Amino acid sequence: MSSSSLLHPPSHLSPATASQLSRQAPSILENSPGAISASVLQSVFSASETQELWTVYENLLLSCLRTHDDESAHLCLGRLVNRFGNDNERIMALKGLLKEATAPDDAALDLVLQEYDQILQVNPVNVPIAKRRAGLLRAMGRTSEAVNALSSLLDMSPTDAEAWAELADLYLAQGLYSQAVFAQEEVLILQPNAWNIHARLGEILLMAAKTSDAPKRLAEALKRFCRSIELCDNYLRGYYGLKLTTQQLLSEPSTRNSKLTESEEWSIPAASTLQKLDTVATEKLAEITRRNLAGEKDWQGYSDAEIAAARELLESHSAATVR
Amino acid sequence: MTWISKSTTALGLVLLTHACYSAHEHAALQSYRAASLSSLTTTQSGATSSLPIDIAIETIIATFIVCLGLVSGTSQLRPIQWRVWAGKIEQEGEAGFKNSSGEVEKDFVGNPFRLLESRPGFIDIRKQRREFAAWIKDESAK
Repeated sequence: MSSSSLLHPPSHLSPATASQLSRQAPSILENSPGAISASVLQSVFSASETQELWTVYENLLLSCLRTHDDESAHLCLGRLVNRFGNDNERIMALKGLLKEATAPDDAALDLVLQEYDQILQVNPVNVPIAKRRAGLLRAMGRTSEAVNALSSLLDMSPTDAEAWAELADLYLAQGLYSQAVFAQEEVLILQPNAWNIHARLGEILLMAAKTSDAPKRLAEALKRFCRSIELCDNYLRGYYGLKLTTQQLLSEPSTRNSKLTESEEWSIPAASTLQKLDTVATEKLAEITRRNLAGEKDWQGYSDAEIAAARELLESHSAATVR
Repeated sequence: MTWISKSTTALGLVLLTHACYSAHEHAALQSYRAASLSSLTTTQSGATSSLPIDIAIETIIATFIVCLGLVSGTSQLRPIQWRVWAGKIEQEGEAGFKNSSGEVEKDFVGNPFRLLESRPGFIDIRKQRREFAAWIKDESAK
């Protein structure tokens, strides 16, 4: 389902697509206008500036950095700087990114970090630079400092869903499940219709349920996966998570019989409901995998890895029910 | 817009132009007749004939053809319900959002919440470079 055009940020692309994109870099750089003049006369005669031109340059820059094509990356950055100047916050962040990518050793990275700190001293609300600083701290392995940096960024702008998502990911990487769940719920407060974030929170809760507090977390995970399916028809990830959760709940009757003195927020549904949910999830997963693998036209948006995982789950389930 | 709708619209516009030109000619002819009649000072009733009916019919038909061409050239309507739209993105990917000439629509961004999971403001570029270099090594070893 990933779009390979240069109009979208390339982080999620496979390495093969990324290298193909960055190989196009020289031709794109030649064919696109190098300098957009601000004067009216020249803009009439030369190629006009489209909305997508600068997005393309930025994504091309990211692709080239990823594939070690540093020359083209510098060219892209040069054109961006020519257009937007050095004082633009996003441009400063892109420059910092380029320096991070081409830094030869840790001392150079420390220098970059110091530069970020200086910029933030001058202008503490420079959000792109604050994000880059937190990202660099995390990349250097200084996770507690990264958490502090993210927390101060979130104090500054508490409605930044991306920063909350990064914080959740940081906590999850450290194994701090309750904090990760809290941060991910904050993302959902800001973007309540994000079906993939509901599924992600369900996944975090499933992971957390293995360590402690299983009944409450499994019930919550069930609700999250159900919500993600409500928000998106035929959502493979949602059905997969739903099946995993119902299987776990059905296979542990002891957790259900334990007294839950909380309000009905945390009550686990009855076994018949769980069974029905499991059946629905299995049917849907089977339908999606069948249609996708048969090559039906409208069902090709899923990624191959997802479909393979769904097939494995279905096969292990059917093996378990064969007596 | 497909080529059929473009040609239909063009045909309709041509017909419309023709009808308007005919009406203009008719009006010019009327005024010429009126001028020549008055110079001869005859006592004709000087009845001005109204616009010939075929010009009127041509105008109406031309307008209808233009509307037909424009309406048939609209792109595929997108789903209104959130879950149907989200399902279309996940299920069909970019193939579900192609316009009539087979290209993906420019304003299609895929899943807009995907950025919350890929988080482009926080990318760890060094890790991406390392992973890419490792992938290149694997590929060349194969």
